[in-house]
Amino acid sequence: MSKFRRGFLAALPLVPGVIAFGLLYGMMARQVGFGPWGACAMSLAVHAGSAQFTALGMWEASEAIPIVLTTLVVNLRHLLMGASIAPYLEGLSPLWKALLALWMSDESYALAIAEYQRGPGNRWYFFGANVGIYVAWGFSGLMGALLGTAVPDPERYGLELVFPLGFLGLLTTFLEDRLGVVVAVASGALALAGAFLLPGKWYVIAAGLLGSGLGAVLEELRTRSNEDE
Amino acid sequence: MSDLLIVAGMALVTYATRYTMIAALGSRPALGDDEAGPSVFRRWLRYVPPAVLAALIVPPVLAPEGRIELGTPVWATIVGALVAWRTRSALWTILSGMVAFWILRTLGG
Repeated sequence: MSKFRRGFLAALPLVPGVIAFGLLYGMMARQVGFGPWGACAMSLAVHAGSAQFTALGMWEASEAIPIVLTTLVVNLRHLLMGASIAPYLEGLSPLWKALLALWMSDESYALAIAEYQRGPGNRWYFFGANVGIYVAWGFSGLMGALLGTAVPDPERYGLELVFPLGFLGLLTTFLEDRLGVVVAVASGALALAGAFLLPGKWYVIAAGLLGSGLGAVLEELRTRSNEDE
Repeated sequence: MSDLLIVAGMALVTYATRYTMIAALGSRPALGDDEAGPSVFRRWLRYVPPAVLAALIVPPVLAPEGRIELGTPVWATIVGALVAWRTRSALWTILSGMVAFWILRTLGG
C-alpha cells in the first residue's frame, strides 16, 4: 500500500467528526449570508474549523481587522505544532514544507507526528492524512450550506463530543512512557485553568507550552539522576 | 468584495501560523543539536503533541459552557478513555464514547 494511501486511510476514522462539524459550519455560514460556494471557498482557503466558526460569529459586524486578528489568535497553536513536527521535515525541499504546512490540521498533525515518532513517518503519509481531512472539511461545508436549515441542530446528537473523543484516541499514541502520561494530565489541568482565566483559545497555547516544558524539565531531571547512579 | 478580502486575510494569517515554524526550524542547526545528542529544545518539542491534544480534550468536555459540569459528556468521555487505553484506536474511542453518550442520555431522560 502506498504511503499516501496509508495516511489517507488513517484519517478516515476522524472523518465523521469532521463532516458533522463541516455540516454545522455550512449551515451557520448560510445564516450569516454566505452562498454555498462562498461557504465552501472559506473552508478550502482557510481550512481551520474553530477559527471559521469564530469568524462566522463576528461576521455580521463585517469588520475585517477584528475577524482576521481573532483568526490569528485562534490558530496560534499551529506555531507549536509546526515547531514540534519541523525536525521530521528536515531535508525536504521548501516546496514540500510549504505544501505540508498548507493543509496541516490538528488531526492530520497528530496522525503524522505519531507515525514519525514510531519510526515509519514519511512526507507522503503526512500529505495523505492532510488531504483526507481537507477534502472532508471542504465537502461537508458545501453540503451543510446546500442543506441550509433542513437538518435539525447537530448539537442535539452530542456530536460536539466527537472531536475530544477522536483526540483522546490519538493521545494514547503519546503515552508510551510515564512522562507522557504526566505531561498529558498536567496539560489537561492547565488547559482547564486556562479556559477560565484566559480569553478565547489562548488556553491551548498556554497549556501546550507549559505542559511540554514540564515534560522536558522532568526528562532532564530523570537523565541527571540516572547519571548519578 | 469585502467578504472576499476578509476570507483572504484569514487564509493568509492561518497559513502563516502553519508555515512559520516549519520553515524556521526545518533544519538541524536551528535546533541547536550537538554531539551529546538532542538539544533541550528538541526534547521540549517532543512533548508538544500530548500537551496540545490534552489541552484540546479537557476544557470542551469538562467545561463546555465556561463552568465545570459533571454531566453526560464527562461520563461518556471516561468510557471513551477506557476504550482508548485498551484499543489505542481513534475509531473505537469515538464509537464507544458516542454510544455511551446516547445510552446515558436516553436513560437520563
